[in-house]
Amino acid sequence: MKKLYFFFLSLFLQSLIITTAAGQSPQSLTDSTAFQDFLIKQKEIQGLSVRFLIEKSDFTDSIPGDSIFRFAETSPGLLSSVEITQFGNFPKLLDTLSALDPTWEFLIFSQPSTFIATQEYVANLIRNGDIQELSKEIAPDKDLVLLASNFQYVPFFKYKLPFSSDYKLFIVVAIIAFFLISASVMILFMVIFKAKKNKKEQLMKDYEPLIAEALTAILFEKEIDEIKGLSEAEVLAIFPAGLLSRPLFQSVLIEKIIGLNKKMKGDFKDKLKALYQKLGLDKVSMANLHGKRWDKVATGLVQINEMDLIEALPEVKKHANSPNFHVRTQAIGTLLNLSEKMDLTFLKDQNYPLSSWQQMNYLRIIKFLYPQKELQMLSLFDSENQSVRLFGYKLVRLIGRVDLLENLEKSAINAPDDEKIEIIKTYADLGAYMQADFLNRCLLSENPKLQQAAAQAIGVIGNNESVPIIENLLKSQPDFPMKMILLKSLQKLDSNQFEKFTGIQTDIDTQRIKRHLLDPLLNHV
Amino acid sequence: MVPKSLNSLSGYYIYPLLHTHKHCKNPGMKRILIIEDDLLTSSMVQFRLKRDGYETIMVQDGNEGIKAIEEEDIDLIITDVMMPFKSGIEIIHFARKVKPNVPIIVLSALGAEEQIVLEAFNLGVADFVPKPFNPNELAIRVKRALNLMK
Repeated sequence: MKKLYFFFLSLFLQSLIITTAAGQSPQSLTDSTAFQDFLIKQKEIQGLSVRFLIEKSDFTDSIPGDSIFRFAETSPGLLSSVEITQFGNFPKLLDTLSALDPTWEFLIFSQPSTFIATQEYVANLIRNGDIQELSKEIAPDKDLVLLASNFQYVPFFKYKLPFSSDYKLFIVVAIIAFFLISASVMILFMVIFKAKKNKKEQLMKDYEPLIAEALTAILFEKEIDEIKGLSEAEVLAIFPAGLLSRPLFQSVLIEKIIGLNKKMKGDFKDKLKALYQKLGLDKVSMANLHGKRWDKVATGLVQINEMDLIEALPEVKKHANSPNFHVRTQAIGTLLNLSEKMDLTFLKDQNYPLSSWQQMNYLRIIKFLYPQKELQMLSLFDSENQSVRLFGYKLVRLIGRVDLLENLEKSAINAPDDEKIEIIKTYADLGAYMQADFLNRCLLSENPKLQQAAAQAIGVIGNNESVPIIENLLKSQPDFPMKMILLKSLQKLDSNQFEKFTGIQTDIDTQRIKRHLLDPLLNHV
Repeated sequence: MVPKSLNSLSGYYIYPLLHTHKHCKNPGMKRILIIEDDLLTSSMVQFRLKRDGYETIMVQDGNEGIKAIEEEDIDLIITDVMMPFKSGIEIIHFARKVKPNVPIIVLSALGAEEQIVLEAFNLGVADFVPKPFNPNELAIRVKRALNLMK
């Protein structure tokens, strides 16, 4: 049974191999004619040869013995040619032997082989890649160049210019061109801008000695009345014709006159101001106030301020509430400087908060001018702008307006804590003893900052009622800084009560503060 | 463009070449060196001093000032404090070494700064004129300093 099984299995496998091999054979190997054509095309196949066989009786003298075939009698009555390996000559050889009706025999490595075995051998070589099946198309007889000449040239690109049909190349070229053009334009602008700037600087340099010469001569040789009395023709004759109307010359002239005005004193200052107006530069400054750019407006304000152009004050006032910080600062500074009376009503209506820098700036001007000019500042307390009210309280303190303490008292009633702190500082600085009750009330405030400010002030302007309040606060164990302020104020108010209180209170902080306050070297620290 | 007539005036106030004055001092005139970076201010000073019969040399920075002190025959120096390249204090230091007998008047906007004034006087300046100033007042101080030198 087992033997039978193996027998059928071997049969099946053999048939499978044969079927597979036959199935894989190329079309060119299927029949003898196709195989013959295949051999002719291949010209040569390794290990494969063919020889012609003819009957001895058919052999004629037309085929010489030493011909290419060199027939020899290999078996009785049968002549065999030599092995032919060059299959390309087949058609020619067959023609030669056509009269003899030869048969042929395949030889694989010089061993006779059947047609099927030869087919299998060739198929195997093809399968393994040892030979490649050649066709007319890939193995032309003629030269490739000659073949190519048969085809008319058609350009790969659609348009005449290669890059216009290649969009990627076109984009790259366009980008590079864009950058080159941009760079060229920028360089051109820079060169033009630089040339203009250089020209301007050179002109300014050239104007400088001319201005110096003219101004010096006028300031030393003419009195102020003479300057004021200069006719238009005389004014125009000061500088070369047409120069005075040039904006650049005007700006250099203004700059120089203002610069000199800062450095000169006495009648030279007055002469410069008169000359400024006589030359029509005040109109330039006024025109600047109507400029669209804030820096131009600010420059105009500075010019008006420096040259005391009082007639421009109504225009300046329009800028006092400007949304631009620099413009309104400069405008208010100019108004303070030039106004006959320093009426601060315009500050009352300020929409924008006054910065510390602005307050310091205005204070500097007010302090400088206050003794000579009347100062009207009551309106500041009624401003809706808290920073203006705070500035008003500070102003009372810093310029010592004791006469306004009564107004401060009214403002303090409904003032928020921030303002109360400022008012308390003013009371303390001006020694407003009548405000001790207000301070006592503030001392009981829940706002630690207000409490602290009141505690500090109470040491200066407190009364007898302040002492028990301070003691009660100290007993409630406040933080160390507050304790320090309270004890200091208590010592200033009533030194006996201070001794008594610190004698009873034995906590470390109180004793440390006491030692500090009683130390002759440290008590001012 | 600046008119040609203007260009011809441009060198009027600044003596362009110091050495041209080196050998041409008028024997009867006192020569004053003005070291001031602001052309207009120095022109004012120069104009006023020329009126009083002084010969003046104007320079606009510290380096030129040092060079002028070294090379020129001068009787008095008027100098600013804040200037390009070298400050007035450095110029005073140099002048004290090279020409200890030449009086110096300091003309400066830093007059309010006590430290600068004290330093200048410690270095031996004859006078300190704070800006803003009156050129007529300066002329009187120049005269006094030159008289004191005698």
